[in-house]
This record gives sequence, C-alpha cells and structure tokens, in this order.
Amino acid sequence: MSKSAPAKTEAQTEIGLRPPGMTDRVMITGATSGIGLALANRLSPRARLLLTGRRSEDAVRSVLPEGVAYARADQTAPESAVAAIEAALARLGWDGLDLAVLNAGTGFVGDPADEPAARLRATLDANLVAAVLITRALYPRLAAARGRLVLVGSTARRGAPDIASYAASKAGLNGLARALAEEWRGRVEVRIVHPGPTATAMHAKAGHDPGRLGRLFAPPDTMAMLIERAAASDRPATTLSFARFAWRRAPKPR
Amino acid sequence: MKRALVTGATHGLGCAMAALLVERGYAVIAVDRVAGADRHGVSDLVCDLADRDAVDRMLPRLVGAGPFDLVVFNAGVSATGRFEDIPAEAYRRLLTVNAETPMVMAAALMMAGAVRGGLCFVSSLSHFTGYPGAAAYAASKDALAIYARSVRKPFARHGVSLTLACPGPLKTEHAARHAPDGADESMRLEPAMAARVILDAAINGRRLIVPGRRARLVALAGRLRPQAVTRWMRRLVFERLGRAVW
Repeated sequence: MSKSAPAKTEAQTEIGLRPPGMTDRVMITGATSGIGLALANRLSPRARLLLTGRRSEDAVRSVLPEGVAYARADQTAPESAVAAIEAALARLGWDGLDLAVLNAGTGFVGDPADEPAARLRATLDANLVAAVLITRALYPRLAAARGRLVLVGSTARRGAPDIASYAASKAGLNGLARALAEEWRGRVEVRIVHPGPTATAMHAKAGHDPGRLGRLFAPPDTMAMLIERAAASDRPATTLSFARFAWRRAPKPR
Repeated sequence: MKRALVTGATHGLGCAMAALLVERGYAVIAVDRVAGADRHGVSDLVCDLADRDAVDRMLPRLVGAGPFDLVVFNAGVSATGRFEDIPAEAYRRLLTVNAETPMVMAAALMMAGAVRGGLCFVSSLSHFTGYPGAAAYAASKDALAIYARSVRKPFARHGVSLTLACPGPLKTEHAARHAPDGADESMRLEPAMAARVILDAAINGRRLIVPGRRARLVALAGRLRPQAVTRWMRRLVFERLGRAVW
C-alpha cells in the first residue's frame, strides 16, 4: 500500500497506511491512555496530531508522543469539550482535518436496576452526546479536506447486561455511523470500528476485574493496528472481536 | 385497579396507548411536556423530559404513584435534515428525551421497586434500517433499543418483563412534520392499531414487537441486507428532505 497519490481524495483513502508525509492533520479523542494513546503513538511519526483527554496538559504531557498538540476536553461536559476542541483547531490554524478518531469513552460495571442517574448520564454524555456534537462541529473541516471520521464503538453494542448504559451508548454510535456513512458519502468517509476486550485501564476504572480472562484481552498496540487498518478499508463497519485479534500482534517498535 | 405509566401520552402513539389502557381498566399516569385534554381515567403529570432537573424532581412523585403494572417509555422527538444543519441544542434535547431520560426513569423506578409487571421501550424501525437524514435520531433509538436488550435479564430477576417496540411510520402529527416532501401517507400505520399491537406484546411480556406487516418486512430486509436497506433509506428519505426540521 505505498501508492504516491497527489490527488487529495486518493491520499485520504490511504491515510495511516501511506509512507511518512507529515501532511495529514489528525485528531484523536481520549488519547492519553489505552487504545487512543496506542493509536497516537502509531500515527505520530506520520502525521500532525491533535490529541484530547480529560486530564490537564501538565498531567499527561510526559506520556504523549513528542511534538503533538493537546487539548483538555472532558467529554462528560460535551458542550465545553466541543468548545475546547474548536479552540484548539483554530489555534493550530487547521482549516481542514484529514482524519478524526473519536475514541474517548467511559463506562461503569454494575446492575442496571441499581444504576444512579448521574452515572448513566455521564456515560451517555461522554460516549454518545459528545461524539454527536463533536462530529457536528468537525464537519466543515472534515468536508474541506474530504477527510475521514472514525468512531470507536465496542463489541458490547449488541447489548451487555452488566454495562447496559455503556452498551447503549456504543449502539448509539453505531446508529450514528450507519446513517452518516450513507448521508456523507462522497463528502466525508465515515467508519465505525468495534473493538473487543482490550487490556487497558478502562476495566479497572469501570470497576471490573476480568481476572484470568484478562490475559486473553488484546494488547492496545495490536488493537490500534487493527483499528488503523479498519479505518483505511472500504468497509463502513468492522468488528474486532476475539477471533480477529487472538492471533495477531503488532510488531514491536524498532 | 391496575396502574400504567405512559410517557409522551398527549399526542400520537402515546395518546392512543393511554386511551386503550383506560378502556382496558387501567388507571393511567401520563407524562408529557403539555397536559392532554381532560381524559377520563388519565392523570397528567407535566414534565419536560429534556430537562434533567425537572425529571429528577418528578421521579419521587412518580415512584409514589406506583407500583406500575405496565410502564411504556414512548416519548420521543426527532430532527430531520442534513446532519450538520441542525443546531447542537436540538441534538442535546433529542438525545436526552429519546435515550437518556427513559433509561434514567427505568433505573429509578426499578431501584425503588415501583414496577411489578412489564416495561416497554418504544424505539423505532430505524433500529433495523439505518436512517440517513436523521442520524442523531437513529443513534438515540439504537441506544434505547440496546439498553432494552441489555436490561432484560437483570430486570427479569426483579420479576419485570421487557418489551422492545420498533414501530415504523405512523399517521401522527410527528411523522407528518418530519416526513420528506411527497411522502405517501397511506404507507403509515394508524396509531390506534400500533398502540393495540404494542400493548398486547408488552402485557404478554414479548421481547420484540414490530407492528404492521410492511414494517416487519422492512425490518427483515434490514437484517439481511443492512447496507442496501440503508442506501434505500437514503433515497427514500435523505434525498427528498426539504429544509431541516427539529
């Protein structure tokens, strides 16, 4: 996949897979840990990056790849997250965006008959409402660059009793992507990727101990590699369940 | 006397369900942004379901009015047009009314033990088809549908059954307002008919109900050929939409 394509429409279909050009403007949300950070590390040698997260820049600068821009955008407050992202894009002077990966997500494990309203709202806000509003806000820049929008869903989108509101939020993303992929066809490419269980801090944050099962989870680097491939493919939706990642590993960094 | 709770019961499908439940001998609590005309057997509880504080203030009153033999989360709003043309506030409102509030209400009622029969979530046929021209609406209805599927087993442990209803277009003001120009109204189902089918399913604890033969065919097609059906929806809806409506 090493086509050198001068036309922009050609170039963007190769994003992430083409040789270093340092021309792509890429935004990744929730990029301070887990899959988002792994993806940022993969793309940083090849693209200009704007990363977002809910922690302050001082708290995360040391873990981020060198030379990337960072914006604090806490998605549990979707409207202010959008404002922070728009301000950061304006500061960078990016009038176009070649790739946006909306990866930020949160969730809590527990009996849904016992789920407090605040938790439910935080889950939907961070995972779904923020994604809808950020997608809306990014449209002019994505369209200007004929760029690509990648939503990170979850294999839980088909339903999961102990993470009901998380599953609901990810199903919402799937519905959003399915509609937009068709609606924006020819203007902005839309993809959704549904990762299976990945060995990130999310499980601990969600109050879930996978125990020995955790050893079967995908390493974040492997998942990031598979997401990058899925994002560059022609399939509008890709599910990266256990069968898809069990035998694959991202090559060790040289 | 059996008690039922119906949200969005002032107009359309919810109004038809409230009327039918009264006919069947239920005392109905109707929650909506505006009260309906004085209806025998229906007590109106006025609440803007897009307003979190208002919902939180209403919940204790609702729990006090229980326990309910049947709860139908029917309230919903839409936003149709080019995705980027619709204001952010409208999306916030839509996602709150259609997805967040029914989940918050269901969890609160379950936590308080205020349900002793069935819960019914009214999603949409778009759960099976994709919905270009109403992407945020589709997102909210997919979220609600999967919430319903997710809580079925945990709620069953409390003796509560779960029904997911996915109606297609109905002959309601809501549908007429959001339909593309020149849409064929004869394709839409009578709300009274959809109400009867959905209530029968909810009372019997059926898992899924798609009212109307035509809607069931579309749902089946959507399951078999999701991409082709979403493309068909683009031609049927998105390409014929006039100005954005929210």
